[in-house]
Amino acid sequence: MSTPTPALELRGLRKRFGATEAVAGIDLTIPTHSFYGVVGPNGAGKTTTLSMATGLLTPDSGQALVHGIDLWAEPARAKPLVGVLPDGLHTFDRLTGSELISYAGLMRGMAKETVRERRDDLLAALDLDSAGSTLVTDFSAGMTKKIALACALVHAPRVLVLDEPFEAVDPVSAGAIRRILQAFVASGGTVIMSSHVMALVERLCDHVAVVGGGRILAAGTLDDVRAGQDLEDRFVGLVGDTSDQRDLSWLRHSSD
Amino acid sequence: MVATLLRLKYTVVAHQLQREWWRALLLIGGAVWSLTLIPLVWWAQTWLGFQPADVRTTIVVILATVCVVGWWVVPLMVTGLEDTLDPGKFATWGVKARTLLPGLTASAFLTVPALFFMIVFLVLSRGWRYDEPAAQVVAVIGAVLTVAVMVVGARVCVAWSTRAVNNRRSRTLLFLSIGLAVVMVGVAGWAFLRDGLEAGLETTVPVAGEWLARTPIGAGVAAPGAWVAGDITGAVWRLVLMAATLVLLMWAWKRAIAYTLTHPVYRGGGRRRRTDAVLTRASDAEPAWWRADAPTRAVRARLLISWATDARYIVNAVGVAALPVVFFVLVMPILELDPRWGFAAPVLLASSIGWGRHNDVALDSTALWMDIVSGKHGRAVMHGRLQAVAVWAVPAVLLAAIGVLAWTGRWADAPGLVGATLGTLGVTLGISALSSVALPYRAAAPGESPFGAEVGSLGASVAAQLVSSIATLMVLPLVTVPFILSLTVHAGWGWMALVTGVAMGVAGLWGGASAAGSLYNRRTGALIGAVS
Repeated sequence: MSTPTPALELRGLRKRFGATEAVAGIDLTIPTHSFYGVVGPNGAGKTTTLSMATGLLTPDSGQALVHGIDLWAEPARAKPLVGVLPDGLHTFDRLTGSELISYAGLMRGMAKETVRERRDDLLAALDLDSAGSTLVTDFSAGMTKKIALACALVHAPRVLVLDEPFEAVDPVSAGAIRRILQAFVASGGTVIMSSHVMALVERLCDHVAVVGGGRILAAGTLDDVRAGQDLEDRFVGLVGDTSDQRDLSWLRHSSD
Repeated sequence: MVATLLRLKYTVVAHQLQREWWRALLLIGGAVWSLTLIPLVWWAQTWLGFQPADVRTTIVVILATVCVVGWWVVPLMVTGLEDTLDPGKFATWGVKARTLLPGLTASAFLTVPALFFMIVFLVLSRGWRYDEPAAQVVAVIGAVLTVAVMVVGARVCVAWSTRAVNNRRSRTLLFLSIGLAVVMVGVAGWAFLRDGLEAGLETTVPVAGEWLARTPIGAGVAAPGAWVAGDITGAVWRLVLMAATLVLLMWAWKRAIAYTLTHPVYRGGGRRRRTDAVLTRASDAEPAWWRADAPTRAVRARLLISWATDARYIVNAVGVAALPVVFFVLVMPILELDPRWGFAAPVLLASSIGWGRHNDVALDSTALWMDIVSGKHGRAVMHGRLQAVAVWAVPAVLLAAIGVLAWTGRWADAPGLVGATLGTLGVTLGISALSSVALPYRAAAPGESPFGAEVGSLGASVAAQLVSSIATLMVLPLVTVPFILSLTVHAGWGWMALVTGVAMGVAGLWGGASAAGSLYNRRTGALIGAVS
């Protein structure tokens, strides 16, 4: 049996900003139908890597293949397969929630009627009904995350690339997002998400990659990477703990 | 706190200059250019010293008026000039407006333009040195107060306008007052030039000067004149008036800072829209041969919402009227130009609109990713953007053309004028589309003050503005030649101008959008970095 084409394959991705090498050669194969977690300390190059994998940042060298299609060579074929939730909370925030989803749908070339149906479905599924007529700029951080996720889902992509999808999201909404993503994977889709929360990655993902200093430190199935340890311990072991654990004694309030 | 804020400001500037050294060249160039003007000012004050006191007063009052009005109005018209520390950024520090005020004031005065104007007015105050020493002292005090009113007044104008454009109700008020100001300038220009330029200089200017000398605009520089004329009370109350104005402006600025600290402008103010304007405006109802693809219609719909609600777009749409209005109500009568020159006004309006879009893409800096990840949509994005401009710009320039035709009564020139105007609009929009993809620079983010610019973005904007202006100036004659021939050689050229103008306009718009779209597709991976 031949190995199926991976959902996303990164080959030798590199990016340098001035003197800093943000991504120093990343090779990663993300199998179809997997829930893939990308973890790493702040500044490890996660966002830069995901930006290069989704067409937002030109790599200095290397390739990103979506279901075998080179994203930078054939964007018109590759991009429709991908739904993206980038880092940060900025969108066209002078549109209302419904308008933003409609906009994302139309940009994906969908028919108006389809856009209308899916928009209403997504607003309901993500509990955003009341937010449909509010400008996105007036949303809370969690609501903005949810509306951006709705925009990433509207064209029913095959691969979802999500940068910190659960950041600033309340537990109830997080539950809703989790259910949507798990159903998406169960139906044959692939999710790649970056996160700082190890417990969440352990709970959701079947695969994980640890990124540090612009390189892949470990990658594979969750159990392979954990190697019998807690993911958090393994993570700290791989990237190294804070070297100077200074005691901030002045921060303590004395009771007398 | 003063030292802290000044240090902060210069650290920000220094970091910017370190990252992009050529900005330092522009900054130094600007400073050197200002310095080369000082000898001219020195010569002017020597000459002023030999003029009779009343003539001297009139001249400095008129000069002060031009400078004060310039300081207050130019930052509102030409966006991106304002680079003082934005008080809103201090909101999280928990400092009071009163604490910030001295430092922000100092940093407003320690800029190249503010220092330059301070030097100019101090040098000019030497024009009173042949009179009694007391008059010289009065002149220096008056000069300092005048420049202070200029600089602080500019801060207040920017703060209030920012607040006004972010609120729908006061926005109407703001635009009404701008309209009123334009009418007043027009009336003043008309009164001044009613009897010709020379008569105006002899009679209207001294009268106007006398009135302006009683207002906080000209009172400061008029005070020494009053002193020399023996009107001690007149000199004193003028200085007091200036000082009181300055106190009032400082108070207004403090209020504005306090307001900014507790009212972040990036919020939408609880505005709601029940109907989905994107879906309704991206209508499928257009005839099939005319209907653009869904992404183009989506971008157009989004931009139409921006043109109706986003302060940055609205300020730009109002600002484009400045050049044609100044030409029509000031330049034309002063130079006593033939009425046919009036036809330049709609052409100027068209080129202002077109050129004004030269950094269009950067206005979406924070959300550009959404267009980019959706596919290979460069052409859709650029066509959609230009179509949204054309929706209001074509009627606007046609209305201006009809207005000028009615004013001159030369309806026979209508075809040529319409051709030249539409041609100019299309071609300049096309050039700007290319520039906004090839040479984008950082613009005010959504919700930020539409008048503000990030410290140091001035350099990048100068390069892009220079290139797009030169390209516009080179193309303009080509578009307008048949029309000019119709006015000067033979009226038959008019119809030719209509055909070539409309053809070039459509070609420029379509070609510019398509070329810019292809470039956009090639640059997608670098665009976000270029604008944020």
